[in-house]
Amino acid sequence: MNRTMLHAKVLPSLLAGTSRHALPELVRPANPNSDGVLEVLSLMGQALRFERPTTPDSFIVEPEIKDERKILAGSLRRPLVRLLTAKNVTEHPGHALARTLERLRLRPHPFDLPLIDAFVRSNAERLGPTAQHWADRQKPEAETQSYFDPELLDESNWAQATLSRRVTYLEQRRRDGADAARTLLESTWGQESAEARFRLLQTLQTALSTTDQPFLSVLEKDRAPRVRALAARFLARLGAAGESPALHACLERIKQSKSGLNRKRTALQLELPANVKDQAASRWILQTFTDVSLRELASAFHLKEEELIESASNDEPFLLALALIATSDLRLDLLELVVAHLPSAWEKMVESGLDTLGTMGELERQRWQEIIVHPYRKDLPTIYHLWQWLHRITDAQAPVAVMSTVLHAKLLKKIPEHECVVWFELLTAICPPARRHELRQQLADFDQSITATPLALLDILDGMEIDGPHG
Amino acid sequence: MSLTLERIEALAPDQASLASARKLLKPCSWPTLAQAEGLVWGECQGSGATPYRVVVNEADAGYKCTCPSRKFPCKHSLALMWMRADKSSAFVSAPVPEWVKDWLSRRRGSSSAPAKNEEDAQPKPRPSIRLTEIPEAAATADPKSEQRAAAARERNRVEREEAVLAGLDEFDTWLSDQAQHGMANFVAQAAQACRTIAQRLVDTKAQGLAGRLDSLPTRLFTLPGPVRPSAAIRELGQVYLISQAYRRASELPELLAADARLAVGWSITREALLSDSEALRVNAKWRVVAVMSEAQPDRLRRVETWMWRQSDSDGMPPCAVLIDFVPISTGAATGGYLVGDQIDAEVTFYRSSIPLRAQITTLNKGAEQSSEQLALPTRSLSASYTDYEGALAQLPWLGTIPLTFRSANVRRNGEQLYIHDDESGFSLPLHTSQATHALPLASVGPIDGIGLWNGYEFTLAWAETQLGRWVRS
Repeated sequence: MNRTMLHAKVLPSLLAGTSRHALPELVRPANPNSDGVLEVLSLMGQALRFERPTTPDSFIVEPEIKDERKILAGSLRRPLVRLLTAKNVTEHPGHALARTLERLRLRPHPFDLPLIDAFVRSNAERLGPTAQHWADRQKPEAETQSYFDPELLDESNWAQATLSRRVTYLEQRRRDGADAARTLLESTWGQESAEARFRLLQTLQTALSTTDQPFLSVLEKDRAPRVRALAARFLARLGAAGESPALHACLERIKQSKSGLNRKRTALQLELPANVKDQAASRWILQTFTDVSLRELASAFHLKEEELIESASNDEPFLLALALIATSDLRLDLLELVVAHLPSAWEKMVESGLDTLGTMGELERQRWQEIIVHPYRKDLPTIYHLWQWLHRITDAQAPVAVMSTVLHAKLLKKIPEHECVVWFELLTAICPPARRHELRQQLADFDQSITATPLALLDILDGMEIDGPHG
Repeated sequence: MSLTLERIEALAPDQASLASARKLLKPCSWPTLAQAEGLVWGECQGSGATPYRVVVNEADAGYKCTCPSRKFPCKHSLALMWMRADKSSAFVSAPVPEWVKDWLSRRRGSSSAPAKNEEDAQPKPRPSIRLTEIPEAAATADPKSEQRAAAARERNRVEREEAVLAGLDEFDTWLSDQAQHGMANFVAQAAQACRTIAQRLVDTKAQGLAGRLDSLPTRLFTLPGPVRPSAAIRELGQVYLISQAYRRASELPELLAADARLAVGWSITREALLSDSEALRVNAKWRVVAVMSEAQPDRLRRVETWMWRQSDSDGMPPCAVLIDFVPISTGAATGGYLVGDQIDAEVTFYRSSIPLRAQITTLNKGAEQSSEQLALPTRSLSASYTDYEGALAQLPWLGTIPLTFRSANVRRNGEQLYIHDDESGFSLPLHTSQATHALPLASVGPIDGIGLWNGYEFTLAWAETQLGRWVRS
């Protein structure tokens, strides 16, 4: 009996059951006392084992991805995977690693992508085209994009880069020449997704002027509601839509008076609605003052922006509002003036629920951080969620001045013992390269079991600096 | 805080552990003893197939050993601490190896503090190192009791032979019933049916077959639905073959008969294997290419360490697998060795027509991680598969076997990955659990490597690629 006959005659009987589908008569048992069924079962089984696996008719052709980034050094691969897959690790090491990989134009080894899948999905835009392709692998083809990440962007290739790099590029172009940047944006507007339109439009906040008005007017009919809302907000700031309702709502709550004996000065005070209790006040302020600019507000009182801040100097709620507006307007010079009167601006902003710094560049975010941390000097707060918020919102390493204060103030020693693990991870993640050595020295005073993750992170970050293009 | 004998006494779970640890203080039991950054570590050959790896943190007496002991610390950890404390052995300074780094990264908090509830509980006599110095009473050999024990052993063997044969008869009846009802029907109620016969075979002391049948439903359900009935024919047909081979062992070649006995459940102890002068021994450099771990229904974890021979030994098996069984409750998921470790050792193979399973007899040198390329034969995937077919003809119930390949490609068809030999057009489906982890290999071009073929799916274990080494994780 050959294999074909076994398949044709025997297999159906074994599958259906020999009681229903008797074995063919050509099967003769070797043992006269046996009905031969088990011998046939065994023979069939062995015949199946000798069948070679079938090869599919065709295979998928994998896309070719041009990734110019350097692959992370072999010596750092295993520590990186170990750190990112360890249990009970906070989000801070992941943020620090993604930032550094992006800054140094490094990328994780392609073989490690499955092992650090969650990290790759959360930070795909920062890790280069290969990682982005990996993160998008289960998306429908229509939702994927071209995976292109040249070292330098220009007008010819900017549209193909990752969204975060495009936003940064356009932001820079707005600073160099607002009109040219807008024209560039207009040229690709029709092909952008809703998410891209929203994020790219945010860059118009930089150097917003009346020349942007025609473009913004068109966007009032955009398909995406949040794009329409953002365009309307910009138009309101430009005064194009008559009196801004947002400004009107703010002015309704500001009480103006005069103070001083010899020289009368304008004093402004924010009157909170009666139904807004203490704890909700900061949130109400954020919601109410989000859509106005400092210039609009100052003009409404016939004051310069600096004078506006001075006239609010005795009213904490109004100062918070001005700090939030200065942040939103990217007016760090004015934020510094506000914080001089409101040293607790950091805590107040946390209370308000502020969750984005808009299109601020990394240097601006660091400067912003320096401004709000500065008033504390050596009495830095030891409240974890304040620092956690600061890291999350700035998504940048701390300025050298801030980290120096942290280290000189011996903040590590003041941290509650049960919170050491999360604190150390956070402080390591925000520590700039120039202060890592000092941080290592301070960590050495603690138990190795608490400092294992922070020290591993420092090793990887230092290793990346050496491995990077300038290392 | 450094390690002291008083501290070791305080850590020891009982007096017996200290006494056992004392027996391990000979440096010859430890091919590796090293230190760095407040850590000491070593390798100790125990009763398992794989040497145990032990690490101790001197600062807080934290420890980790890969042995399956349920005592904490185990005798190996105590012995390492002891050797360190009394400075009786030389610890060489060495870079911290990866397995120690892995342990460090996973550990949280100090383990040296005794559990409070233990302190509060009833006081136990404190173990003492001094008491371990009392020599054990020399066992006096009594010829009569030796004879009685030998006779009892023989009686037990004969009884077991009878019980096994009775069990095989019951298995035949059970299998006939399954064949009458059909394999399509069997698959639908495989879990219950296999559980029943497996328990019966355990009762009749045919644990090997019981284990195969107990894990059969799990193996079937990892396969796509349409192929399960034919896979059931393959699996049950193999078990029947083993039972027939066992019954007719006297008609078979010696090695195949040994395979049948082993498959039915007659185990060979480490001592018996090492004392077998005819057992195949290979002294060579080996490379760990895969560590596979699988929880079994009997609450043991089967840990397989696959090693590929790196040095020339003509005519000798190129591959050895060390198999350890660890209680699942200990939480250990892997063996002592990591993929990539290079081991210089003499290995003794269990008697088999296709020698694969082995034990490490002598460790010439401690294991080391190596970045060297794996030395692979110049055989294509298709040629390796032909070798597999030859081995299958020799040992019809052959299980998992390593296959090497050169210049093959990982290709994708839908979600399923294949290892494909472009030249011959031959391909093997990769294990479904590797659909994600092996996906990056689909974009790297031709690769050389090794994997494990179980007759259904190929588990890619190691690949040398243009982007460097890829290993199964």
